[in-house]
Amino acid sequence: MDQKRGLCVHSVSVQTRRGEQGRGPKTSAPFYKEPILKFLSILLCGILSVLAAQAQDESAVREKLAHAVLSGSADQPKLVGELADTGSKIVHDVLIAWTRDGVFIFETNNVRIPVLLEEQTDANGNARAIRIDDGKFLVDDQKKELHFAATDLNALDTDARLRTVIQQTLDSLALSDPDPDARENAILKLGNSHKLNNISVLQARLAKEKNPAVVRAINEAIAMLQLGDADPQVQITAAQQLAALKSIGSLDMLKALAENKSSPPAVVQAAKIATSRINEHVVAVNFFGTIFRGLSLGSILLIVTLGLAITFGLMGIINMAHGEMIAIGAYTTYVVQNLFGSGFAFSINLPFHFFGHPVGFGLSLPGMNATGWWYESYFLFALPLSFLMAALAGLALERSVIRFLYRRPLESLLATWGVSLVMQQLFRMVFGANNVQVSSPSWLLGHFTLNDVSMGYNRVFVIVFAVLIVIGTWMLLTKTPLGLLIRAVMQNRDMASCMGVRTARVNMMTFAFGSGLAGLAGAFLSQIGNVGPSLGQSYIVDSFMTVVVGGVGSIVGTVYAAVGIGTSDQVLQQVTGSPVTGKIVVLVCIILFLQWKPGGLFSIRSRSLD
Amino acid sequence: MQRKSSNLEIWVVLAVALFVIIVFPSLNAFTADGSWLHVSNFTITLYGKYLCYAMLAISVDLLWGYTGLLSLGQALFFSLGGYMMGMYLMRMIGDLGQYHQPIPDFLVFLGWSTLPTFWKPFASFPFALLTAVLLPGVLSGIFGYLAFRSRIRGVYFAILTQALTYAACLLFFRNSLLLGGNNGFTDFKFILGYDIREASTKRGLFIATGIALLLVYLLCKWLTKTKFGKVQRAIRDSENRVMFSGYSTANFKLFIFVLASLIASLAGVLYVPQVGIINPSEMSPDKSLEAVVWVSVGGRGTLIGPIIGAFAVNGMKSWATRSYPDMWLLLLGTMFILVTVFMPKGIVGLPAQLQGVYQKFTAKKMKAEPVSVTPDAAVQPVKPE
Amino acid sequence: MKSYLFKSLALVAALTLTPRGYADDTVKVGVLHSLSGTMAISETSLRDVLLYAFDEINTAGGIKVGDKSYKIEPVVVDGASNWPLFAEKAKQLLEVDKVAVTFGCWTSVSRKSVLPVFEQDKGLLFYPVQYEGEELSKNIFYTAEAVNQQATPAVDYMLKQGKKKFYLIGTDYVYPQTTDLILYKYLLLHGIPAENIGGGFRKDDSGKVISAGKYVPFGHTDFQQIVADIKQFAASGDACVLNTVNGDSNVPLFKEIAAAGLTAADCPVVSFSLAEDELRALPTKDLVGELGCWTYFMSLNTPANKMFLKSWNTWVKSQDHPGVVKEKRVVDSPMVLSYDGVYLWKAAVEKAGSFDVDKVTAALESGDISFEGPGGLITMQKNHHATKNVYIGETKANGQFKILETFPQVYGEPFLLKDLDAKLTAATK
Repeated sequence: MDQKRGLCVHSVSVQTRRGEQGRGPKTSAPFYKEPILKFLSILLCGILSVLAAQAQDESAVREKLAHAVLSGSADQPKLVGELADTGSKIVHDVLIAWTRDGVFIFETNNVRIPVLLEEQTDANGNARAIRIDDGKFLVDDQKKELHFAATDLNALDTDARLRTVIQQTLDSLALSDPDPDARENAILKLGNSHKLNNISVLQARLAKEKNPAVVRAINEAIAMLQLGDADPQVQITAAQQLAALKSIGSLDMLKALAENKSSPPAVVQAAKIATSRINEHVVAVNFFGTIFRGLSLGSILLIVTLGLAITFGLMGIINMAHGEMIAIGAYTTYVVQNLFGSGFAFSINLPFHFFGHPVGFGLSLPGMNATGWWYESYFLFALPLSFLMAALAGLALERSVIRFLYRRPLESLLATWGVSLVMQQLFRMVFGANNVQVSSPSWLLGHFTLNDVSMGYNRVFVIVFAVLIVIGTWMLLTKTPLGLLIRAVMQNRDMASCMGVRTARVNMMTFAFGSGLAGLAGAFLSQIGNVGPSLGQSYIVDSFMTVVVGGVGSIVGTVYAAVGIGTSDQVLQQVTGSPVTGKIVVLVCIILFLQWKPGGLFSIRSRSLD
Repeated sequence: MQRKSSNLEIWVVLAVALFVIIVFPSLNAFTADGSWLHVSNFTITLYGKYLCYAMLAISVDLLWGYTGLLSLGQALFFSLGGYMMGMYLMRMIGDLGQYHQPIPDFLVFLGWSTLPTFWKPFASFPFALLTAVLLPGVLSGIFGYLAFRSRIRGVYFAILTQALTYAACLLFFRNSLLLGGNNGFTDFKFILGYDIREASTKRGLFIATGIALLLVYLLCKWLTKTKFGKVQRAIRDSENRVMFSGYSTANFKLFIFVLASLIASLAGVLYVPQVGIINPSEMSPDKSLEAVVWVSVGGRGTLIGPIIGAFAVNGMKSWATRSYPDMWLLLLGTMFILVTVFMPKGIVGLPAQLQGVYQKFTAKKMKAEPVSVTPDAAVQPVKPE
Repeated sequence: MKSYLFKSLALVAALTLTPRGYADDTVKVGVLHSLSGTMAISETSLRDVLLYAFDEINTAGGIKVGDKSYKIEPVVVDGASNWPLFAEKAKQLLEVDKVAVTFGCWTSVSRKSVLPVFEQDKGLLFYPVQYEGEELSKNIFYTAEAVNQQATPAVDYMLKQGKKKFYLIGTDYVYPQTTDLILYKYLLLHGIPAENIGGGFRKDDSGKVISAGKYVPFGHTDFQQIVADIKQFAASGDACVLNTVNGDSNVPLFKEIAAAGLTAADCPVVSFSLAEDELRALPTKDLVGELGCWTYFMSLNTPANKMFLKSWNTWVKSQDHPGVVKEKRVVDSPMVLSYDGVYLWKAAVEKAGSFDVDKVTAALESGDISFEGPGGLITMQKNHHATKNVYIGETKANGQFKILETFPQVYGEPFLLKDLDAKLTAATK
């Protein structure tokens, strides 16, 4: 599964487009994630490769690299260490691949050729091999390109000592990495090194650096190192500098300095002031962070609950299988992802025998083996499909079970609980009892940092998404003829029926719509949580609670309740320091709140009794 | 007619109870292993467990079937009773635990060397029983007072009780509560001086549970027959009318709620020594739902229904988890759906239901008049056009 | 009379069931795992590997006792993640089915629930999943990793890597609590000051630390706050996370870690409940370099392991047992320890020349029952735990572990706390 996109893990997890600017020609091919980038950088590389000098440089580096890779274990660390000065992207990529078992040795006629495997695989899962020594594809005698699977070749091993050296080399390479985030990380690492001689390295870098964030990081790192200076005056300035920079990373050092009995009182004083300044900053960061996290949790709760606000709130059906509708959405996302990948298949054996033959059934769908942006876009297709699948399941459920129970709402709870048990077991049989893997498209992965408050793209997406589906639902209910019918039927089924509304149909549509919303929630939850047979169970209690707190029958109430519960949960987690206590307090508050306002936040006023 | 069949029911129940309380344990004690009459120790413990479940089911039915209050929190009271009994049993282990120290094992590896104060009185069996009455009683009293005062009913009541039991479940999972956390209490050794693992002790517990169930049944039977019971059912059918007739429905409901919680707690007290474990997952919302399902399958609004339901569902579960370990949820789930949709009165109501269908069928034949018998017709009285 | 209810109910559905015939010389063996409910996620795989082991033994001629050979007849029951049901099923296996041995349980609570049953009915249970130790029943054999075969070697490794700050996070139940308490003491003993151990502490009235680390409830899904906390903790470098979060919750945790850009290079996470089986559900390409510590990794490059994997894969593909999933199967440590358990039991039975529990126990306790399993040699000790190799591995993009370090033949020691306490007091004096 990972052969396609295997080798670039590091760049992904740092979560920036590490390759955009300075990829070397050809060798870099395996490290791309998106074909667009590939295209861009091939263009870029085309321009770059005009510069012969660069190519010259590169081949020298490559030779050095191949030499290091092939050398015996005794002098390998030394040779790898020397690569640090090259500042080359190729070195970086190969070293990373090395630690990840991605460097292979191809042996033929007693010649050992170190190679990398390309990300792009053919139909058999094999990939072309790129020679490390010259960057060309490995060919056989007839100049035909060879294809390998990772298991065909021997991966080059590393031991603990070598890995330490590789890491150090990578760190110093990162100082000149084209990606500012990578530079920033490497610089801050140096700042934590407690080695004063690193200051000169940093100052040299400072002279060349243009990116303001990195400049800030260099200043921070220098100040952190200067805290260890022998001169108290330097220490004091450094402490003041760090306070001004609000450097959270230096907090430990400042604290240690403030508690150090041998430092001069002035230094201790400065360190103390700096500590308290930074602590204030930490409080602010936590405050805004909590608000953001509360909003995002509230949005998740809202997405999960909105479907229930319709099936339970409007229709009065206590749908315990709501969680399984969510799971249907999540599993649909999984299937769509597999269809974009290598395909999806399952088979079930029943514990019965028919004339001695095991009875079973199965399904096998071919995959599109998509890669790059096309693969990444699977999620966009999964969203409507998960709505559709869950809506269809809802439709079937309504027709087969729920339509018998409109007059017995409390009993709908029992029947749908049975449905929920059956569906969980079906998930287990079709998809296995384990959780399944749903990978996030790269545009949902990663985060940005605003004044030390980090916000994940997926979290921002969920907030926007929640707003959109709330608006969509509201529009549907208030601005369309169907919405009018829905509201009419939900208010008084008999009356609407007398007025000629086809209530059975409206019931069916409404329930399907509510289930579809649950499916959408599932598609989204697959991005942040696990996708497994009991996925729905984790949300069911919370969702019912949210609807009840908001006021049964009120969509607006659900919105307020979801955001309110989400935020208070996060705040209480922060305050009590324990997620469990936070959750218990929220539950108790909800119970007490409902004593005070039994109808929820927005209760529907009615003169009718019973 | 009504009275007669009701009396018949009591006689049948008494006869069955006599059989269960006397004959069953005797067969276990006095027949040889391998004889076709022999009842194994396994069966005794298993049925003892079902008897406890039946008691829990009665408590659910008293609320739901007779008063119209669907409580999804009965498992909480059941577990509280169980926990109180469990604390007593833990104290009875003495220093026979893993560490051979006078305090329960889990406290030892949580770093305690002496017994926390609130654990101390639980060495006394009467005290444990007292707390098993007081704790659920007080909790249900407070919760019920608040809930009924603000006229929480129907679905709201169900969801609220579910929230209550969920919060308690999370709380009991915490190790810091010093009640064993997730592992709960296990490995009991003695009860009232008897070795809990002896067959004779198990028989004793079985008989005690049988008697307790019988008493609970008779108490509820009596209660539902009195004027109180009539008010109770009136509340179920139309609370507002009862209220406007001058009855304080909140007090009636509160009484029933507390009584039901005590019955559930009693079931828990008897349950724990028989199954040998109590842990917080016993109070998870699912467990309460299960109890409601037993009532629904057996037939709500009757007292015999919950008992039949508890035995039928759990018996089926015990059998299916052994015979069809991969499929049993499908069987059970489908059964719940079918029972709820097509047998609103449960197993107990099945004969009457079949009779009704038969009568309508014959009437239809005679008059050739369309009489709808499908449940759908009940939902859609007016044919949509 | 006996199990009358079962029989009457069985009639209803037995019509569709074709009874399977078994040869006369069979021995019944119990399999007690949750195949439904929350724990089915982890335990179903163990059922599968056990069935595989039985099939393998049966094809190879069965178990030889004296001059007879016995085929294994598995009795699979579903504990349904319901602990009283576990006790009931254990009793049923021992008293009704009269199995010779049972393989089963995953969670500590399920083991604690069946323990009295096994002791009373003199049964024999093999328990395969890493656990907190502090327990020793004469009727249970723990092929599982003890804390000193998993957590402490991992910490040793991190200390050697120069890590100075350790953040403890776990699910709120006894395994993480106990392990973290042990690790807390272990770290103190190795010169890590308490302020460099993150996650918070809880102290009793006398000020003694009784719990260390951050705990989340079962099935927790929202790790935003905690990951933000870890990020701040790791801001000053040289930090790592020791993760005892239970299987299922790891998915949202690691998805959050991936999204927050907390890389293994900055702050690696060492997980103790995350094996290949759980990794299948994770975006592994974004989590390369996180660490795991087990006594088996699927990527082990030994002939024994390759043989095992090959024949396991063939078996899975050809299975028609309902519930055995055929697609994308992996093998992990609990599975292999289950498998090892079957062979250890077989060896003990053959040595004892009897299925009698006492005799088999005596054979196992003798210390010469060992098995060359996929993870290397495993030997049952007198204290019912097993000596085996411990491996530290790093996750790769393909969901496998790259083995970084091997601790050969580590003796399983269930009781660590007391010893550590003694050492700590000695050190502070």
